[in-house]
Amino acid sequence: MKYRIVHKTSYSSADPVSVGHNEAWLTPRCTQSQSVLAHRIDIEPQPSTRVVLNDYFGNTVTQFLFNQGYSKLLISAINEVEIVTPAKWVTSPPWEVVLADVQAHYSHEALQAFEFTFDSPRCRRSTAFADYGASSFHPDRPILEVLADLLERFFVDFKYDSTATTVSTPVEQVFRQRRGVCQDFAHLLISILRSLGFAARYVSGYLRTLPPPGKPRLVGADASHAWLSVYCGPLGWIDIDPTNKQFPTTDHLTIAWGRDYTDVAPVKGVYIGGSSPQLSVSVDVCPINELPAAESLDASAT
Amino acid sequence: MTVYAAPGQYLRVPHTVPTLVYHEMLDRLGNPRPAWKSFVERIPNVTVTDFAHRAQQAEQLLDENGVTFNIFHDGQQSQRPWSLDLFPFIIGANEWDNLAGGLRQRARLLDRVVRDCYGPRELIQNGVLPPEVLFANPGFLRPFVGIHQGPQSITLFATELARGPDGGWRAMADRAEAPAGAAFALENRIAVSRAMPPSLHDPLVRRLAPFFLALQNRLKALGQKLSENPRIVLLSPGAKYPYYFEDVYLARYLGYTLVEGADLAVRDDRVFLKTLAGLVPIDVIISRGVERGIDPLELGGGEPHGIPGLLKVIREGKVAVANVPGCGLIESPIFMAFLPQICQYWLGEDLQLKSIPTWWCGDQGQLKEVMGRFTELVIKPAFQASGGEEVIVSRLDPEGRRELIDQITAHPYKYVAQELIARSAVPVFRNGEVQNGHAAIRTFLTANQDDYDVMPGGLVRVAPTPDPMVLSISAGDSSKDLWVLAESLVKPVSLLGDIDKPVVLRRTSAIFPSRVADDLFWFGQSLDRADFLCRLLRAVIERLTAESASDAPELPWLIRALADQGQVEPGFAIESFLVQLPTLTDELPRMISNVEESRGVAAAISEMDRLASLERLWMSPDTFRKVRETALAFLESPETRWTGLVDVLEAINQLILDLAAVSGLLHDGMVRGPAWRLLDMGRRIERARNTASMLRSVMSVNATFERPVLKSLLEVIDCRMTYRARYFDNLQQNAVLDLCISDETSPRSIVSQLVALSDHVDALPNDGQSVLRNEEKRIVMMAVHAVRMVSPENLEQVPATALQQILLDVEKDMSTLSHVITRKYLLHSGIPRQITSGLELPQ
Repeated sequence: MKYRIVHKTSYSSADPVSVGHNEAWLTPRCTQSQSVLAHRIDIEPQPSTRVVLNDYFGNTVTQFLFNQGYSKLLISAINEVEIVTPAKWVTSPPWEVVLADVQAHYSHEALQAFEFTFDSPRCRRSTAFADYGASSFHPDRPILEVLADLLERFFVDFKYDSTATTVSTPVEQVFRQRRGVCQDFAHLLISILRSLGFAARYVSGYLRTLPPPGKPRLVGADASHAWLSVYCGPLGWIDIDPTNKQFPTTDHLTIAWGRDYTDVAPVKGVYIGGSSPQLSVSVDVCPINELPAAESLDASAT
Repeated sequence: MTVYAAPGQYLRVPHTVPTLVYHEMLDRLGNPRPAWKSFVERIPNVTVTDFAHRAQQAEQLLDENGVTFNIFHDGQQSQRPWSLDLFPFIIGANEWDNLAGGLRQRARLLDRVVRDCYGPRELIQNGVLPPEVLFANPGFLRPFVGIHQGPQSITLFATELARGPDGGWRAMADRAEAPAGAAFALENRIAVSRAMPPSLHDPLVRRLAPFFLALQNRLKALGQKLSENPRIVLLSPGAKYPYYFEDVYLARYLGYTLVEGADLAVRDDRVFLKTLAGLVPIDVIISRGVERGIDPLELGGGEPHGIPGLLKVIREGKVAVANVPGCGLIESPIFMAFLPQICQYWLGEDLQLKSIPTWWCGDQGQLKEVMGRFTELVIKPAFQASGGEEVIVSRLDPEGRRELIDQITAHPYKYVAQELIARSAVPVFRNGEVQNGHAAIRTFLTANQDDYDVMPGGLVRVAPTPDPMVLSISAGDSSKDLWVLAESLVKPVSLLGDIDKPVVLRRTSAIFPSRVADDLFWFGQSLDRADFLCRLLRAVIERLTAESASDAPELPWLIRALADQGQVEPGFAIESFLVQLPTLTDELPRMISNVEESRGVAAAISEMDRLASLERLWMSPDTFRKVRETALAFLESPETRWTGLVDVLEAINQLILDLAAVSGLLHDGMVRGPAWRLLDMGRRIERARNTASMLRSVMSVNATFERPVLKSLLEVIDCRMTYRARYFDNLQQNAVLDLCISDETSPRSIVSQLVALSDHVDALPNDGQSVLRNEEKRIVMMAVHAVRMVSPENLEQVPATALQQILLDVEKDMSTLSHVITRKYLLHSGIPRQITSGLELPQ
C-alpha cells in the first residue's frame, strides 16, 4: 500500500517574530514494514540555515533557523511511503519470559528496550496503573494475548472525547476521568505497561481515514495520530493502537518514536519577539492510487 | 568551648586533642604535626588583639569586594555565604602531592566516564556500570549524546574532601557541571595574604596563580581550533544566581567578558555576542549555569543563560564550551559506588583517592549490605548531585525508618547509601580565641594537555560540629585559606602579569554587549527623570509649606506638571485645585515614597539602583557606591521617618544633592566610549522630553505668564542664577522661554540636549551601508532644526500656540528616538519563548 501524506503547519503572528529556531519531526522512519519513497519539507519563508540530523532515538529531525524573523511561517511536509503488512505472529512467548528478558537485559536488543521501562516527562509509573493492567496478566499467558486483552479492556473503559483533555493533561487525570484522545491513551497505556516492568514507547504518525460510505474523501481533514509499541522479546517491538483497538497493519504510517510525546512533537521551536502566534495544522493522508494523476510522485527525495 | 587565650595576651593554640576525630594541627600527644610546626612556633609572637584586629581587616577586604560586587538589594542574601577565618589550614608537601595524584586520577576517570556515557557506552555494554545510571537518571540528557567529541569534556573539576578519624582523605562529592568556589578560594588567599601578621607569613606556601594561568591556557587551547586569538566569554546565569559574585570576580581576574544568555545568539553556524557594533563571533564559552538550561531549543526551559541552537553549533565544532554540557552527570553519587571497578576496568589499577563508602541499592548484593547496617548510614537519591536531600538513618524514629525502607524497596535503584564520616578538627579563631571547628575542603582541577592540574590550595569551610555538612559550598559558617607547602621557596607568578610586556596604545576596550548598553541607556533615563521630579516636587512642597499656599498663582501649573508626569493622580490638577490642597498635602509623602507608583520618583531611584547593580562593571566603584547609598538613604522606610512635608522637603533636597554627586561622578569618571554615550543619550532624551512636557503643562494652565509663574519655571529648570546675571529682576516670558528652549549655552535647554544627541548619534557604530542619514539621525536633525528655527515672535506670542506645537513635536520625537535606538542597538535580544507545539493535538 502506497500513501502520500501532506502535513501543513502554519504559524502567524501579529508582530513579526525577530528570530526563530525550530525543529521538526516530520520525516517518516523506515521500518521493517514501511519504506520511504520520497520525502520533502518545504519551508516558507526560506530559513537562514537548515540541517537534517538524527535524534537520540534515530528519528530524522530537521532544524532550521530564521535570522531575519518572519510574521508567517508555513511548514509543509510531503511524504510518500509504502507499507507492507507486518509479520503476523501466531504464537508468542508467555509474558513472564518477555518481562524477565527486558529486566535482565542480557541481549543488545533487551538492553536498548530497557531504556523504555522508566518514567519519562509525560509517562509516570504508579501502583494504580500497575493494578489496572495486572488483571490481563494471567500466568503463562502469551504476551500477544495479554496485549489483545488489554486493548479490549482499555477500549471498553476509556472513551474517546476530544473535549476532555488538552495537550498538557497529566496521564493520572486521564486515568481518573477515563476520557481523552489518542495521545492520552498512548501515554496512559505506556505508563500502565511500564508500571508492570515492560518496555513501551510512544509512536507518532498518521492514520489513514476512510470517508463515510458514499461521501468523497475530504482533503486536509486527517490528523496526526499516536499509538505505542511494546517490546515483546523474540518478536521485537509490536505496535498497538488503543484508540482504535488494533494491532496496526497497513493504515498506520510511522513518523517517529520516543519515550513519549515530548521527544517527538511534530514541530518544536523557540522564538524571540512576535505576539500571540496563531497555529493551524492540516493533514492529508491519501493512497497514491487515489491521487489525481498529475499530482503523483512530484515529491522528490531531498 | 575551651578558652585557650584571653584578650591582651599572646595568642595560644590548643593542646588538648579531641578523641573521636582526627586533629589537623596536633598529633595524639598534642604536639604540632610537621606541616604546622613552623606556624605554631611563631604564633606566640602575636597578640590576641593584633590577630583579632587583622582578622577583622581580612573580613573588611572581603566586604569591600562585596560592596563592589554584591548585587542583592535586601542585603540579606550575602554574596559570600560565610565569614573568613584568618587562621589557615596547612597541608605538607608530601601529603598534598599524594592527594593531588589521587585527585588527578579521579578527574581523568570521571572525564572518561562522561565521554563514555554520552558516547559509546562501553561501561554499560560490558556490565561495569548498570544501565539505570543513564536510563533511570533524570540528569541524563539525551540531546548531549554526540557532543562529547574532544579529548576531554571536563575542563574545570572539583572534589569535596573530608578527613576521617583514621587520618585518611575521602572524596565526599565530585563536581563537574559548573564547579563553584575556585574564585572564592582565590579571594580568600588575597585577603589572608594582606591581613596575616608578617611574622606568620610562610614563604613556602604554594601560589594559586599558576592554576588560573593553566586554566587560561586550556581555554585558549580549546578556542585555537577556531581562531588564533580566540574570543572567550564567561556565560553567567546572571545577578539572581547565588554565586553571581564569583562569576564577576572570575571574569575580571581571567580577563573575559561576562555575558548572559540574551547577549549571545546563534546565527548561521556560529555563536555571536551582540554588541553595540554588531555581532562578534565567540570561540569559547565558559558556562556557569546548569547544563539543563543551556539550549532552550533542544532542552526546553527558559533559563537566563540559555542560547537557542547552541547544541547544534557545539555538535558542528564551531564553538567550544567548558565544561561540555553533560559533565554534570557524574555528580550523581551512584558513580561513587562503581568508581573502583571502573578504575580497575580502564586503568588496571586501584582508585588512589577513595570515595566515602557508597552502595547502590539497585544492586541486590549491595542492598543486602545496606540493610545489614542500615542505622549507621545516610541515604541519598542516586540520581541527584549529592548535597541535596539526604537522610541520616540514625536520626529517624522507628516509624520514619520503616517508611524509608518501604520507599527503598519500592524503587531500590533510586537510592544510594553512604557511610557517615566524622570530619577532622581544625583550629578556628573565633570570638578572640582559638577553638576547634570541623573542616570540609573543596579542591579544584583544570584540564591540561591530557591530564589535570590541581590548584595547590582550595576552599576550606568550617562548621562548629563534626556532623555531616551539606556539600554545597554555601554550607559551613566560616571559610579558610588552604596553605599547601612546597619543598622549597616558590617563585611568584601572577595573572596580572605580563607587566614588562609593552602594550599597543588603544582608545577602546573590550567588546561591549548590547544588554549592557540597554541597561545603561535606561539608567540614564531613570537618573534624569528622578532629578527632574525632585525639582518639581521641591517647588511644589516649598509652596505648600509656605503660609500662603492658596495664594500662589504658580501652584496650579506645578501640580498640573506633577500630574502630567504621573507623580500625582490627575484628579489633583483639576480647576478647583484649592479644595484638593489639604488632601494633596496629606497624600504627597506616600505618593513620593511609594516604589509602586511606577512613574514616581521612588520608582525611578529604585530602577537606577537596580540597573547600576547589574552593570557595575561598567561604572567606577565610587559611582556604584554613591548610587547604592543614595537609593538606600531615600528608599529606606521613609513613611516612618517622615512626619510631615518638611521632612519630605529635606529628603528631596538631599536627594537632589546626591543625584548631582552621581551625575558628577559619571561625568568625571566615565571614559567617553559607548557606555558613556548610551547612558548620556538616555539622560538627554529624558531631559528634552521632560522639559518640553513641563512647558506644555505650564502653557495649558496659564495663557499669560505672571511673574511668580516665570520664577517657578526658572527654579525647576535650575536657571535662576543665569537669568539674574543676564536680566536682573526683569522677568519676561521670551527671556525665560529662551533659556528653557532655544539657548544653546544653557545646559538645561531643550536645544542643548538635542545638539548633544546629534553628536552621540553620529558616534554610534553604523553599518555604513547607506550614504544617506539613518533614521535616528534624521529624527534628531529635524528636532534640532525645529528648535533652532524658533523665532523671537514665537517666544513672545501670547498664548504661545506655535511654541506648543514645537514642544509637542519634541516630545514625540524623543519617544520615537528612544524606540529606534532600542530597536537598532539594544534589543535584538529578548526573552526566547517556546512555540507551544502542544497546540497540535494528535487525534
